[in-house]
Amino acid sequence: MDEATLGALGLTLRVASLATLFALIPGVPLAYVLARFEFLGKGVLSTVVSLPLVLPPTAVGYLLLRMLGARGFLGRETLGIDLGILLTYKAAVLAATVMATPLVVRTARVAFEGIDPRLEQMARTLGHGPFRTFLRFTLPMASRGLLAAALLGFTRAVGEFGATVTIAGNIPGQTQTLASAIFSAQQVGDQREAAFLLGVALAVGFVAVLASERLVRSAPRSSLARGSRRRRARP
Amino acid sequence: MSSPDRPEVRLALPLEDFSLEVDLRVSSRVAGVFGPSGAGKTSLLEAIAGLRREARGRITFGDEVWLDSETGVFQAPEKRRIGYVPQDGLLFPHLDVRQNLLVGVRRAASAASSSFEALESVAELLELGHLLTRHPMSLSGGERQRVALGRALCSSPRLLLLDEPMGSLDLPLRRRLLPMLRRVSQELEVPMLLISHDPVEIQALCQEVFALNRGRIVAEGAPTDVLGNPEVFPLAPAEGFENVLQGVLTASGGGTSRLRLGPGGGAELVVPRVDARLGTEVLVSLPAHEVLISTGFPTGLSARNILPAQILAVEPLGELRLVRAALDDGGPTLSVEVTPDACESLGFVPELPVFLVIKTTGCRVYWEGPRNT
Repeated sequence: MDEATLGALGLTLRVASLATLFALIPGVPLAYVLARFEFLGKGVLSTVVSLPLVLPPTAVGYLLLRMLGARGFLGRETLGIDLGILLTYKAAVLAATVMATPLVVRTARVAFEGIDPRLEQMARTLGHGPFRTFLRFTLPMASRGLLAAALLGFTRAVGEFGATVTIAGNIPGQTQTLASAIFSAQQVGDQREAAFLLGVALAVGFVAVLASERLVRSAPRSSLARGSRRRRARP
Repeated sequence: MSSPDRPEVRLALPLEDFSLEVDLRVSSRVAGVFGPSGAGKTSLLEAIAGLRREARGRITFGDEVWLDSETGVFQAPEKRRIGYVPQDGLLFPHLDVRQNLLVGVRRAASAASSSFEALESVAELLELGHLLTRHPMSLSGGERQRVALGRALCSSPRLLLLDEPMGSLDLPLRRRLLPMLRRVSQELEVPMLLISHDPVEIQALCQEVFALNRGRIVAEGAPTDVLGNPEVFPLAPAEGFENVLQGVLTASGGGTSRLRLGPGGGAELVVPRVDARLGTEVLVSLPAHEVLISTGFPTGLSARNILPAQILAVEPLGELRLVRAALDDGGPTLSVEVTPDACESLGFVPELPVFLVIKTTGCRVYWEGPRNT
């Protein structure tokens, strides 16, 4: 593997990891709120969160570009300082975070909805306050679904291209991820390089999907197995 | 205990079809709320536990105010120190039995009692020792209920709330769990409020009962009085009034066993065979319509129990009559359902000596059975 490919792979994994983390931090509490509470504007909030899923990634990238541009509301002239995001790996992280968040929120929401709220009430009657109940009971009970959410977000971030090239560019060694490296290789007609990068992308994707399948399936299977063993053991 | 703490509940809570409006002052340590399913029993318990924010009224326990909607007091559920045992157990699926038992121990520790000791003694009391490393998924229904009760006890609650403790269990399990629950409730000092639609459970466990129908208390008092009340009687599931008797196993042979009926009487009862050591304490439930009354000693009957007794009272029970008769030799009192016609033509009046005829197979026996099964 040459240095440029290695660099692109390393950057991709780093960007995807950070993006997953930044998507989880607001995404998990948001998913919990959407799963548990009814409030005014819930439908709108849920829709806005999902928007990046249906918009063309380049449109999301363009929106971010406008926000971060000199006159945007996160721009140099508005804030008085330059955040120095555009055309750096930070921009790639930002783009991947925005694109991964809807998947993280939707998957985590399903995970929380699968937990009987009465179990949380049970923890409350046993002396645990609401915050502690969330940390000590809700999160562990949803852990499998949350892991699946993280993994989905991660794979989405690995594959992110449209929004990334729009705000981070495609600078080899600086902002060139696996996805943009494949694009570049194909553009200049380097078949061997493109095929090799494709292989790397396939490997990363294969491992991630396999892991998430196992996570999603292992819970019911193991409990069934335990149940039947128990039944047979009884006299 | 100086002046024991009891819950006092005055509550208004809108439910789907009607609203729960009760005023309930508990005066015994073990009290029950009896009613058919859908009467609002579970909602009542949840309100007492602090799980129904929309409940209005006033709930106090001793000198603590848990709810007072007039002054805006609402004590959060984690502050009430309640041991809530829901009908389905609600064990935490991500924890094993030991960890489940320890969930409420933090609070118990802050209430100054050694948590480890508590776990050990609760595990022994409920026979959970062999289950500690198992996961909730692998437990049977009865085991799950015992762990749920154990988890509540380990949190050193000031009040136990039991929601249909045996409601989801089949008969063989109930036979073993009922005497265990009875023993546990007698060994503990903690006040208990349990709800049930099962007259046997109520009589075997409670000193006082409130009958709830469509959100209203329709009768309260001693279990046998309340369950024999004409307004409460139709609420029992199909079978009508059930006698619940205590007994001690004195002999077993063939297909039957012989019991001496408590508390200190000489009355004996032949029941279906009980596979337990002699001397084991058992409970017997006997539907009031399974008993016959004879004014003279009957002969040539297949029924194995012909017990001399004296009529205490004859009470109306809907379109029927409920005759209460005390067995001779200090035996317990039984209730017998008869038609008004039979009542009149045989002249049933108080103090009339009679014979109660009971089929062996009419008796259902509950005993704790061997450990670890």
